[in-house]
Amino acid sequence: MNGITVIAGRELRSFFVMPVAYVVLTLFALLSGFFFLSKLLDFNFTLMQLQNNLAFDPRAADQLLLWNLNDALITPYLASLLSILLFLVPGVTMGLFSSEKANGTDELLLTSPLPISSIVLGKYLAVVVLVSLLVGMAALFPCLLFLYGDPAPDLGLVLSGLLGLYLVGLLYASVGLFASSLTHNQIIAFFLAFVLCLGLLLLELGVGDSARGLGGVVAYLSLVEHFDNLLRGVVDTGDLGYFFVMIGSFLLLSKASVESVRWR
Amino acid sequence: MIEAKQLSKRFGDRLAVDQLSFSIERGEVVGFLGPNGAGKTTTMRMLTGFTPPSSGKVIVGGHDLFEEPAAARRLVGYLPETPPLYPEMTVAGYLRFVARIQGLPKRDCAEAVDRAMERCGLKEQRRRIIGDLSKGYRQRVGIAQAIVHSPPVLILDEPTVGLDPAQISDIRDLIADLSSAREGELQHAVILSTHILPEVEAICRRIIMIQEGTKRLDRPLDELKAEGQTLQMLFAREIVGEQVPSAGQGGAA
Repeated sequence: MNGITVIAGRELRSFFVMPVAYVVLTLFALLSGFFFLSKLLDFNFTLMQLQNNLAFDPRAADQLLLWNLNDALITPYLASLLSILLFLVPGVTMGLFSSEKANGTDELLLTSPLPISSIVLGKYLAVVVLVSLLVGMAALFPCLLFLYGDPAPDLGLVLSGLLGLYLVGLLYASVGLFASSLTHNQIIAFFLAFVLCLGLLLLELGVGDSARGLGGVVAYLSLVEHFDNLLRGVVDTGDLGYFFVMIGSFLLLSKASVESVRWR
Repeated sequence: MIEAKQLSKRFGDRLAVDQLSFSIERGEVVGFLGPNGAGKTTTMRMLTGFTPPSSGKVIVGGHDLFEEPAAARRLVGYLPETPPLYPEMTVAGYLRFVARIQGLPKRDCAEAVDRAMERCGLKEQRRRIIGDLSKGYRQRVGIAQAIVHSPPVLILDEPTVGLDPAQISDIRDLIADLSSAREGELQHAVILSTHILPEVEAICRRIIMIQEGTKRLDRPLDELKAEGQTLQMLFAREIVGEQVPSAGQGGAA
């Protein structure tokens, strides 16, 4: 347990010295701010249009009733962040193991008394902290809506959407950790993680209409299926289970991959 | 203190190390000699548990390296061929990290780090970034990380390769210093791999010579000197297979 925090502490410090962390946090702040602002302006524009139409279009009143912050702003905003994480998280994780191999420091870690599971979990914990910062930052913009929005958005929906985003970030992190353990080249680790994460997103396309047999398996593996539920405010243990199972699997794969150095 | 029992390592069809056995006690500095590709690095990696042997055992301080890895690994300090350094860390920060992962409790770390820096002449460099250090200082940091947790066994893989003559002599003095007794400190058992013969003559008391993964020679250096053999001649005879005229017999008297 001690070893995990020692590894995580070193990794985090190096994120901030390198300075991967600042780059990632800045990019995320800029992009999420941009997405939020554009969706907000969009929302306002449509709102004003509907209000102007009230006088002569009888359907505008119904549309106005349906036009709310939850569906028209929060949901698309959080969904757009999914694609930002797709780029940023592999950028954070690409060096986790590959730079150790390139530096020769893997010999230090693997000949230390620490069990491999502590090394893997320590590195993962460091990324978890960074992903938490990112999601915390993503939560700032919806907070503005609670201050100034009238009526304020649905708190439950915002929280479950943020939880979904967080879980996706954690899943990407475990995929990136695994990708990094496979190679000593950071660029390869980045693209490998990117392609794997993208694959989890694109599985959605293969689901089709019938969720039976193989289609059912693909549907279960598809990240979007589970994220969408959370985005709509539905917190289902099945969806949470999906994320835990996937994250656990990639952590185990990472451990096996690091250990495999010893089999060869 | 550390014992290799019939260590073998096979990479595919190639037998890199073949049935190698030896044991080394505290206070001994053993020169591990052989030409490039003889299996020195592979043997050292097996002794430290980085590479598992295909067969055979390593016992460190009574613990089997593969059955009680944590207990055995704590007793070993290791400087690989390339020092395992994080270029973005400071010298002191890095050594503190190594002390922690080697299992030292937090409260003992500051003292251990100070002692290691003192011994390796790094006091002035404690706040410097490792990436900015010269090669000689980086090598010192590499040795400091190997001794920071005061392991009874030290395994150094070509510690002076690529250094200038002044740095080489510094590092040799340091190694000689580590194996000699000090007040309140235990002697280390040191294994040093190299293919630089004068280095061995300068600091080692015993040599183990290997070629193509098999042991060719394992004797104290004094004995060899008394017989009038030089390492140069031995190396030529054992490894290259040359017939050196009157190598041993003539000088024995």
